[in-house]
Amino acid sequence: MSAPPETAATLPRAAIPGSPGTVAALTAVTRLLVFVGIALMLIPLLMTAYMSLFADGVVTFPPSGYTLSWYGRLAEFPKFGQSLSTSLRVAAMATLCSLLIGVPASIALVRYSFPGRGVLNVLLLSPLTVPGVVIGLGLYVLMVDVEIRTQFPLIGSDWVLILAHLLITTPWVVRLCVANLVQLDRSIEEAAANLGASPGRVLWSVTLPMMRQGIVAAALFAFIVSFENIEMTLFLISPGMITFPISVLQYLEYRFDPLVASVVVVQTAVIAALLLAIDRYVKLSKVV
Amino acid sequence: MSNASHLRIEGLTKLYGATAAVEDVNLDVAQGEMLVLLGPSGCGKTTTLRLVAGFVAATRGRILVEGKDYASLPPYQREMGMVFQSYALFPHLTVAQNVTFGLRMRKLPKAEIDTRLEQTLDMVKLTTMADRYPRQLSGGQQQRVALARALAIRPKVLLLDEPLSNLDANLRQSVAREIRQLQRAAGLTALMVTHDQNEAMTMADRLVLMNEGRVQQVGTQEELYEQPLNPFVARFIGHSNLVAGDLVEADSLRLPGGAVMKLARRYAQRGPHVLALRPERVRLHGEGDVAPPRATATVEDGTYVGGHVDYLLAFEGGASLALHEPTGATGGTRRARGERVALTWDAQNERLFDPNGAIVTAAEA
Ligand SMILES: Nc1ncnc2c1ncn2[C@@H]1O[C@H](COP(=O)(O)OP(=O)(O)OP(=O)(O)O)[C@@H](O)[C@H]1O
Ligand SMILES: [Mg+2]
Repeated sequence: MSAPPETAATLPRAAIPGSPGTVAALTAVTRLLVFVGIALMLIPLLMTAYMSLFADGVVTFPPSGYTLSWYGRLAEFPKFGQSLSTSLRVAAMATLCSLLIGVPASIALVRYSFPGRGVLNVLLLSPLTVPGVVIGLGLYVLMVDVEIRTQFPLIGSDWVLILAHLLITTPWVVRLCVANLVQLDRSIEEAAANLGASPGRVLWSVTLPMMRQGIVAAALFAFIVSFENIEMTLFLISPGMITFPISVLQYLEYRFDPLVASVVVVQTAVIAALLLAIDRYVKLSKVV
Repeated sequence: MSNASHLRIEGLTKLYGATAAVEDVNLDVAQGEMLVLLGPSGCGKTTTLRLVAGFVAATRGRILVEGKDYASLPPYQREMGMVFQSYALFPHLTVAQNVTFGLRMRKLPKAEIDTRLEQTLDMVKLTTMADRYPRQLSGGQQQRVALARALAIRPKVLLLDEPLSNLDANLRQSVAREIRQLQRAAGLTALMVTHDQNEAMTMADRLVLMNEGRVQQVGTQEELYEQPLNPFVARFIGHSNLVAGDLVEADSLRLPGGAVMKLARRYAQRGPHVLALRPERVRLHGEGDVAPPRATATVEDGTYVGGHVDYLLAFEGGASLALHEPTGATGGTRRARGERVALTWDAQNERLFDPNGAIVTAAEA
C-alpha cells in the first residue's frame, strides 16, 4: 500500500507538529524516561536482595561467598516474633474496623443524599492529605495528655495503634468501595426492591454481594497500609511493643547485615503478592 | 370503562423543581390489557413507569390497583413486576436464583418455590439454563430471565421499560411476540414504555401518546392513526403533513404563499388553522386530469422506494407537502421534477385543527 489518502489511522499522527523523525525521537525519549524511572525504583530493591545472599555476617565487598542461609535464620532477627505478631494483630484489627466504618460510609455516600454528605466525603478522605508524621505527633500529644489526666497507660497499647491506623486505612476503604459502587447498575437494586426486598434485604442480598470485589480489595489494601506504616506508628509504640517495620528501622540504626536484608526482601515479596491479588479484583490504576 | 379498569392512574404528577416531568396523567387499564406509552425522548414515559413502580415518589395523584391506592407505598410492597431496560439481573445469582428471588422474599414454602421455578423456566424455555450465571447468557436469554423473574411473583401489574431496545433488530420481533403471548396467557395487566412506534403498534392493545409530560391521546392503533386529536398526534403517528393556512371561506384554505386549497368539508370557523394530511391518503394526478382538483403543486423531488414513490411537492409561494404515490397504479414510472400535478383527497382523511391545536369539526356533512 503506497501513500494512502488520509485515513483515520494516519490522522492523529498528522495532528502532531513535526516530521515522523521528531515523533520517533519523542517516543524514544519517553521510553527512556520510563525505563530510568523503573530502574531507580528497582535498584535499591535488587541491591538489598543481592546483599541478602552474602555469606559474611558483616557486609563487605566483594563477598567471600553466597548463601541462602539468612532466609532460614529470619526468626533470629531481634524482636522478630513480638514485632511481627503486633503488626499482624494491629493490621487485622485496623482492617476489620475500617471495613465496618468504610463500607457503610461508602454506601451512604454513593446511594443516598443527605445533609452533610459533602462534608462527610471530605472528612473521610482528608487524612490522606495530611502527612503521617503530623497525624502521629498530634495523636502522641493527645495520648500523653489523656494519660496524664487519667493515669491510664495508652502509648504502646494495641488499641491506640489500631485507632491511629484507622485514620489512614478507612479513607482507602472508602475510596475503593466508592469506586466499586459507582460502576454498579443502580437498577439491579431497584429490581430487588421491585421483587419485594425491603431496603435492608436489598443491602444484604444484593448490594453487599455485588460489592464483594471492592470489599476484598479494600481489605487487602487496608491491611498493607496498616502493616507497613512507620510515620504515625513511630510516635505510638513503647519499648516492649513495636511493629515489624519499626523493628527493622531500629536494627538498621546500629548495623546493616544480610539478615536484615533478607527480612526486608521477604516483607516486600509478601506485600507485592498482596498488591497483585488486589489488582485482580480492582484495577489499582483506576483508584490510586 | 372505569368499573372494569384494573389499574387506574389519577392526576399523576411529578415535579422536579418547578418543571413537570409528568403532569396530570389519567389512565385506565383493563384487566389483561397491554397499554403502551409512546412519545419522543424526554416526554416522561420512563418517569411515569417509575412512578407506578414506586421508584419515584409522586408529587400528586393516585395509583389504584383493584381500587387500592398504591401511591404512598414503597416499591417492595407494590407487587408490580418490572422488566428493566438493562435487564438488571443479579450478577451474583444463577438463573434459578434470579427467578426465585421474589418468591424467597415472600417466604413461600420451598415446594411452592420449586414448582413455580419449573413452570416459569418452562414458559420462557430456559429450563436447561437454570444453573448458569447471567454473564453466561446471550442478550435474548437474559431478557427472558428478566421476564421470568417478574412473572414468577405473579404480579398485579407487569411493567416493561423499553424491553426490546437492547436486542438486535432480527431478535426484536420474536421477543416482542413472546412477551405478548406470555402476557396474554397470564392475563396480566401490563404497562410498557417504548420510543419505537413500530414496536408500540405491534405490542399494544391501546396506546398512550405523551409529549412534554402530558398525555396527548389514548386509543387503539386505528384511533390514533385515523382520528388524531391534535397536530402533535397527527405528526408523530405516521408523519402527517401539517399545512398552516387561513380559512378564508367555508371550504377554502389559503396558504401563506397565496395558493388556495379546496377542502373536502365545509367549516364555520375563519382565520388561521392547521390542516393535517397523511402522505398516503392524498391522491396524485396529472394537471388537468381531474376537475376540479383540491390543490395544484409542482414536483420538487421524487424518491422511488419500491411500494411507492416518495414525493416532495411545492405549492406556489413556498409551502410544501410530502406524498406517497403507490407504484402499482403508475406502472413504476416516476414523475419528473418540475412537473405540475393536481391533488385530491377524501373527506374522512382531512383533519383540521384550530391555532390551539383543538380539532375543528365540519359545519355540515
Ligand atoms: N431525577 C430527575 N431530576 C430532574 N429531572 C428529571 C429527573 N428524571 C427525569 N427528569 C426529566 O423529566 C423529563 C422526563 O424524563 P423521562 O426519563 O421520563 O423521559 P422519557 O420519556 O423516558 O425519555 P427517553 O425516551 O429519552 O427515555 C425529562 O425532561 C428529564 O430531563
Ligand atoms: Mg426513558
